Amino acid sequence: MLKRHYSLAMSVALLLLLLSMLLSLTLGSASLTLADIVSVLSGQPGVSPLADTIIWQIRLPRLVCAVLVGAGLAVSGAVLQNASRNPLADPYLFGLMAGAGLGATLVSVVLPPQLISLALGAFAGALFAVALVFTVCAGQRWRKVEMTLLAGVAVSFMLSAISSFILYFAEPFAANRVIFWLMGSLSRTDWHSVMLLAPVVVAVLLLALALRRQLDALLLSDESARTLGVNTARLRLILLLATALLTACIVAQCGGIAFVGLMIPHIVRHFFGVTSARLLLGCAVVGALFMIWVDNLARTVLPQQEIPLGVITSLVGSVFFLLIMRRQRL
Amino acid sequence: MLELSAVCLRFGAKQVLHNISFSLQKGEFVGIIGPNGAGKSSLLRLIQGALSAQSGQILLKQRDISSFGTAELARTLAVVSQTTAPLFALTVEQVASMGLLPHKSWFELNSSYDRAQVKLALQKTGLAGKCSDVVDTLSGGELQRLYIARALVQQPALLLLDEPTNHLDVQYQHQILQLVKALGIPLLACLHDLNLAAMYCDKLLLLHQGRQVAFGSAAEVLQPELMTQVFGLPCEIALHPRLDKLQVTFMPASAERLC
Repeated sequence: MLKRHYSLAMSVALLLLLLSMLLSLTLGSASLTLADIVSVLSGQPGVSPLADTIIWQIRLPRLVCAVLVGAGLAVSGAVLQNASRNPLADPYLFGLMAGAGLGATLVSVVLPPQLISLALGAFAGALFAVALVFTVCAGQRWRKVEMTLLAGVAVSFMLSAISSFILYFAEPFAANRVIFWLMGSLSRTDWHSVMLLAPVVVAVLLLALALRRQLDALLLSDESARTLGVNTARLRLILLLATALLTACIVAQCGGIAFVGLMIPHIVRHFFGVTSARLLLGCAVVGALFMIWVDNLARTVLPQQEIPLGVITSLVGSVFFLLIMRRQRL
Repeated sequence: MLELSAVCLRFGAKQVLHNISFSLQKGEFVGIIGPNGAGKSSLLRLIQGALSAQSGQILLKQRDISSFGTAELARTLAVVSQTTAPLFALTVEQVASMGLLPHKSWFELNSSYDRAQVKLALQKTGLAGKCSDVVDTLSGGELQRLYIARALVQQPALLLLDEPTNHLDVQYQHQILQLVKALGIPLLACLHDLNLAAMYCDKLLLLHQGRQVAFGSAAEVLQPELMTQVFGLPCEIALHPRLDKLQVTFMPASAERLC
């Protein structure tokens, strides 16, 4: 991938992102034109207070969250795929989703109402799952990436089984609440969500960019990376912890949005290149772009009703996953 | 440049290396030879810092190797091991540029000097015309030369090579060894082919079951009795009439059946 191809791809992606952001602000039940949006955003006088509220309090925080969630999941996926040298790695490894589901289930069904918010419960559950996987993989076995992946799958099934058991005996309303939450949505997001997600997404992106040379070195082999002075075990631990924390934050705010972290890095590698710096920046932009349009689709396809984000990303992602398998003859 | 004194290595209950002592001077090419399981690769991994010695001392540039940080060691010593192609479609230039890693801080970008270093390394290894080629498309010999280019970008004081001619055809075997010998960097290489070792190395270290059997010039090490004792086959050693290098020929146990 030549430098000029990368520059062109990045310029096009950034332009599309900007246009998509503006267009997204016009979409919704209240009819607002592009001119209204520009007036509100530039703070011009004469704009109706209702339009001002819709843009600043509803649509813009949701849009910024879509950007952060898409960028965060795609960057996490890229980091994990390079760090594990596994093109099918995904941020929902380590049982994060199952852990978040168990946390949400416990908060909604078992604990007294209003004691802990669902998001906080999910966050704690996701971190618990990661801690469990890391404990299993601690020590010598930790150095083997396959062990981490297998431990993630095992923990995932175990925590899902516990959640299912609790939900089986729960009252239907509480069970529905958890199930719908797990399907993923940006409808609950606000500026508070932005303030929570933005620092984590930016910090993980900067960390990954700082470690881009080490990530590139891992693409050959662990031994090869070590001869270049890379402490492979410590590097993996740092990156896995950072991406797990980021994904746990996203899951806590938005529920389960699967396959973004798997799919976007593959698309980005094709258009932006495979070295980590290009891949990470490309994933941040394309992931954001993808999530904006998934959310637009989710809230406009059916009248007066939102489709859960996880349904759309899983549908698109699973088809993509099958295409990768077919191409790589896995 | 490199000095080992009574170095021992143990994997659990198994003693892998016993009392290895030798030195490598500036400009020398030392070849480590011996049968499978003799401890050649373990010795190389010990010197590159991937393993820790049970006892003894390894001095690199008159400093104990354990006092080097990982990045500092990578700036002093480069390793070319048995190579595999990368998972994703990296280009030749991108892989060679990885050699800059030990010289770079977190957010530091590549300078024009760095790019010149990469270009020079690719020129020296005959890959200048393949900068933008994807690594997957290289032949085995080209891939090995690429990893040598990456090692050159590290600007090391010592180059370690682990079986650099494995899986290469005869032409590439000579090409690779001629290339590394012409670099002017002190070299330590594990070699399977005794004739190549005799042809290119200044000194040979013969290992057998983790023990140092001999260290010295090819004439000192390549003795028929020693070779027979270590490799378990009768052998003849003769001076090549034109190359003035020793040539080792092992005789199968049932040699007469071949006649």
